[in-house]
Amino acid sequence: MAGLLSRERIVAGPDFNRWLVPPAALAIHLSIGMAYGFSVFWLPLSRAIGITKSVPCPASMGFFQSLVATDCDWKISTLGWMFTLFFVVLGSSAAMFGRWLEHAGPRKAGVVAAFCWSGGFLISALGVQLHQIWLLWLGSGVVGGCGLGLGYISPVSTLIKWFPDRRGLATGMAIMGFGGGAMIGAPLADILMKHFATPTSVGVKETFITMGIIYFVAMMAGAFGYRVPPPGWSPALGVPRHRALTTEHAALRRPMITGRHVHVDVASKTPQFWLLWAVLWLNVSAGIGVIGMASPMIQEVFGGRLIHMAGVPLRELTDAQKAQLATIGAAFAALLSLFNIGGRIGWATLSDYIGRKTTYFVFFALGIVLYASAPQAGRAGHVAVFAILFCIIISMYGGGFSTIPAYLADIFGTQFVGAIHGRILTAWSAAGILGPVLVNYIREYQIDRGIPPAQAYNVTMYVLVGLLVVGLFCNLAVRPVDERYYMSDEELAREQEALTVAAKR
Amino acid sequence: MTDGMPSTRRASGQWWLVAVAWTLVGVPLLWGVWDTLTKASALFR
Repeated sequence: MAGLLSRERIVAGPDFNRWLVPPAALAIHLSIGMAYGFSVFWLPLSRAIGITKSVPCPASMGFFQSLVATDCDWKISTLGWMFTLFFVVLGSSAAMFGRWLEHAGPRKAGVVAAFCWSGGFLISALGVQLHQIWLLWLGSGVVGGCGLGLGYISPVSTLIKWFPDRRGLATGMAIMGFGGGAMIGAPLADILMKHFATPTSVGVKETFITMGIIYFVAMMAGAFGYRVPPPGWSPALGVPRHRALTTEHAALRRPMITGRHVHVDVASKTPQFWLLWAVLWLNVSAGIGVIGMASPMIQEVFGGRLIHMAGVPLRELTDAQKAQLATIGAAFAALLSLFNIGGRIGWATLSDYIGRKTTYFVFFALGIVLYASAPQAGRAGHVAVFAILFCIIISMYGGGFSTIPAYLADIFGTQFVGAIHGRILTAWSAAGILGPVLVNYIREYQIDRGIPPAQAYNVTMYVLVGLLVVGLFCNLAVRPVDERYYMSDEELAREQEALTVAAKR
Repeated sequence: MTDGMPSTRRASGQWWLVAVAWTLVGVPLLWGVWDTLTKASALFR
């Protein structure tokens, strides 16, 4: 088994078509992308005991008692911790195991990710059976989170090496899958829960087991589809001449693309690493806050106008009208998710032509204009303009994720790009805390001070503009790495030798 | 010996396999996009 997973075993033969690697990566990313869709389980899990309605725990019950109580239902806020764990563990595990991945190869990492992600589902199913919330946190949150981190970074380095001429497109195709995973997983989970539900079960346990098996098969197929290019491989013979750019050719043509390599342990000592960390953190923080609040935000900002009752605020609508608004809010969230995945492939592909630094400049500069315009669009009652503004904003949020691996490869070289990408993903974990906290708390603070809900997001938007201004300057400050940080030819040869030895294990 | 065994076929071969692989990931992705578009359409009614 060890030999089957080794890097040496997956060196591509001369007949291998590099366009087979992106679908392998997509199989893994579409599976782990279900992390975004986990909220589909919250409501059914919150009535796992009561089945038809939630059975609350007694007010006298302490926190630790409630973790092991088997006779009352979990709160949605308690279940929501799984979501936080996903993204904190994703960033941490990507940072911790990125270096290992470079030596072990993408197939071994993909297989470990499959075991972790699917194993997380099975542990969670046990947690539902025993009604122990800590088993769900441990299973999906921690074990599954490790699968997320490893699965997310597993194809990055390989794709960049296969597509030195189209780095953005290649990583965009894979990372688009992470954005799209919930589009498949959430409706599938809904169908499965309805299928497995009985008068004595909400059907989540069986759904977890079924999805765990489906994702295991898909991820193993993806992991076994990975191939690494043979040493010295170049796409020059396989693509038209104008695209036949090796890393070295690209470096000659564009000063922001290096043909050399920075060691992963040295990369974090460079200012470029921390500037790019801040760039990702700020871009994601702004987007993640909005994505989580999209549905209530459009309902509160426009109220009755969404159902042709202009001027009637949300609180004055009947329950039936509020239900109509909730449907429109969900539709808005769905539309944003489409732009999220579209932005991942679109912006990353565009970055191959206009450069990574310019692409991020557009994210920040355009983002500043769009966020600053949102309150005005809300005040003027322009629903369509408001929706378009946020669709573009979310496309740039997605584009930030898919463009960063290529940006890192341009700045630090391709030798350790997977490991460096893993470390920079800690910015995502940090953004997962900052973004929602900013949006939620500023909104609550405004409402507590008597600001109408329709205007409660205005200050938030201006704060997010402030984040983007800082991000803009961080991006402008990114320059090629100083000469002293690059690996010498001897160091590179030693590293490649160590890789060859590791590959044979 | 590797899984990607050398053969006498040309370097850019295996296009049928590429089509199969993309179909396997593309069909569920398109189903997900279609389902999301259906939900999003409520915004324009």
